[in-house]
Amino acid sequence: MNNETRIGDVVLDVQDLRTYFVTRWGVVKAVDGVSFQLRKGETLGIVGESGSGKSVTTLSIMRLVASPPGHIVGGQVKLMGEDILQLDEGEMAKIRGDRIAMVLQDPMTALNPVFDIEDQVGEALKIHKNQSGQGLKDNVIEMLRRVRIPAPEIRIKDYPHQLSGGMRQRVVGAIGISCDPEVLIADEPTTSLDATIQAQYLRLLRDLQEETGVGIIFITHDFGIVAKMCDRVAVMYAGKIVEQGDVRQIFNNPSHPYTEALIQSVPKMEEKAQRLYAIPGQPPVLFDLPDACSFAPRCPYAMEKCHQAYPPVFDVGDGQIAACWLREDGASTPAAATSAADAEAAPTTTEADD
Amino acid sequence: MSTSSGNTVLQVKGLKKHFPVATSLFSRQKTWLKAVDGIDLEIEEGKTYGLVGESGCGKTTTAKMVLLLENPTEGEIIFDGKNALDMTKEDNKIYKSSVQAVFQDPWASLNPRMRVSGIVGEPLVVNSTLTKGQIKTRVEELLVEVGLQAYQADLFPHEFSGGQRQRIGVARALALKPRLIVLDEPVSALDVSIRAQIMNLLEDLQEEHNLSYLLIAHHLATVRYMCDKVGVMYLGRLVEEAETEELFDNPLHPYTKALMSAALPSHPDIEREEIILTGEVPSPINPPIGCHFHPRCNLAYEPCAETPPEVAHPVPGHRVVCHLYPPEG
Repeated sequence: MNNETRIGDVVLDVQDLRTYFVTRWGVVKAVDGVSFQLRKGETLGIVGESGSGKSVTTLSIMRLVASPPGHIVGGQVKLMGEDILQLDEGEMAKIRGDRIAMVLQDPMTALNPVFDIEDQVGEALKIHKNQSGQGLKDNVIEMLRRVRIPAPEIRIKDYPHQLSGGMRQRVVGAIGISCDPEVLIADEPTTSLDATIQAQYLRLLRDLQEETGVGIIFITHDFGIVAKMCDRVAVMYAGKIVEQGDVRQIFNNPSHPYTEALIQSVPKMEEKAQRLYAIPGQPPVLFDLPDACSFAPRCPYAMEKCHQAYPPVFDVGDGQIAACWLREDGASTPAAATSAADAEAAPTTTEADD
Repeated sequence: MSTSSGNTVLQVKGLKKHFPVATSLFSRQKTWLKAVDGIDLEIEEGKTYGLVGESGCGKTTTAKMVLLLENPTEGEIIFDGKNALDMTKEDNKIYKSSVQAVFQDPWASLNPRMRVSGIVGEPLVVNSTLTKGQIKTRVEELLVEVGLQAYQADLFPHEFSGGQRQRIGVARALALKPRLIVLDEPVSALDVSIRAQIMNLLEDLQEEHNLSYLLIAHHLATVRYMCDKVGVMYLGRLVEEAETEELFDNPLHPYTKALMSAALPSHPDIEREEIILTGEVPSPINPPIGCHFHPRCNLAYEPCAETPPEVAHPVPGHRVVCHLYPPEG
């Protein structure tokens, strides 16, 4: 893939996003200072376990966090330079489904069982593009054709229960791309699909991206999907991005112990591992986390410092950044999370990759 | 049949499960959903047999029949030289305590109203003559064995995380010192960082107690890590079977090849030949005539649509059911 020609300017710029949930038992910092950028035609993977804050991050971008108890307490989400966190609800509604669209995990709950496919795929076109009548119908058929649904002229009258799981997810995909969005958020879109159907769907998403140049944020817990689909990766743990960088760098030179451990703990189909590395313990409960690295209790390299203060973000070189005290030496200065690939690239070898 | 060197714990012969489905309210004619349509397999002592396939291929129905939770339409399940489907009451009791299960979803498979001591101790209450005190000691031993602590016997399931709950499920399966444990997707509901813990635990227990596992899974990498022998199922039939390393190094059936090509890579630089199957798994109510896989197969030719293929062994110990490989003799 020639990334240089495919990937363009920054379309979405998230800076220091914070979403807290205020509950009776304490404050949950579900998203705590998350920063990343998404470029045109690029796929950014946000990887993390359940409870790491990856879904709340995307819900915050869409401003769909239930409030109360959730509050976006800080940060900026700039869509083509405009901070959409400052928009009023009416303006935000114009962006949802039009300029930022979403494909959710479970196509059965994402589709409404009492409307046919034509209504559901056409809804966004009707609202955002003021289409109607035969023109709208033709566009819906065209959308279904683009997501490779056979005989779309007939299928538009079907209801969701008449379609198989893979087809339903294609319909959800058609809704997602119907208004030609700049950003498509795919939240684990293939976890409910079988392996061969998943392969079909991932191929489809890539083809659609090539056709339209949409920037995709891919939420997943599976490093296999990251390896197959993503250009860049952000790894989340306990509400923070602990490492971010180019997909090959992350796999070849993981600079945060959590990333390294995750990659090593997954069995490979290509060869039989003698023994998997098992990360001890469990992900932390997010109530009132202390000001220390949240991974330290599970980290094989943890030092005294790790239990005393949360590490700043260090530049590891070539735009790869890691929030880990191990990277303090070797990295010149704590880098801003935004630092792009042109930041001073000090090639650091790390003892982490053994 | 295959190059079996060890002792066979469980043998399945010509196992079928057909479910009747009503086509219309008034029709008397029955149609059949052939969930499992004649499979043969052997599980050796101390080894793991993996069944892989996509949803609807019949792997869970097979597991249920092995656990005697579902009555087979046809076939035999032979354990210790006796057919489990035709056993005396005594033997049946022995079978049921020798064959245990760990299920996929640790949130659904533990009774929320019971304490861990009750959950893990229940098989002992039903199937053994131990006293209350002995059961308590045994439960505590079991909890320690699966990496929990003895005092946790007094807690309820909701007080545990997913990985810990799955450990409780494993402890319950171990309670009666079984010889075979059916593992139905034991890690797929767990968080990624927890999966390796459970897989390693299962490996350690197998070594220590010389356990046999029947692992039901859809994730090929998990199967390669855990299994000694693998069977690939498609629409109720076993289409290929071999020792794990042989199967992954030398897949023969076009479906197995497609499954492997669809598996996600472990590194971005791994480029696999993309075999994207067209269409989806057909309904097992009206399976295609001939080879079940032929409508999606990129190598199908005339006989595939007409006659079901026969078992062939192109490599000793490697069984494949496909017209591309003519049966010997």
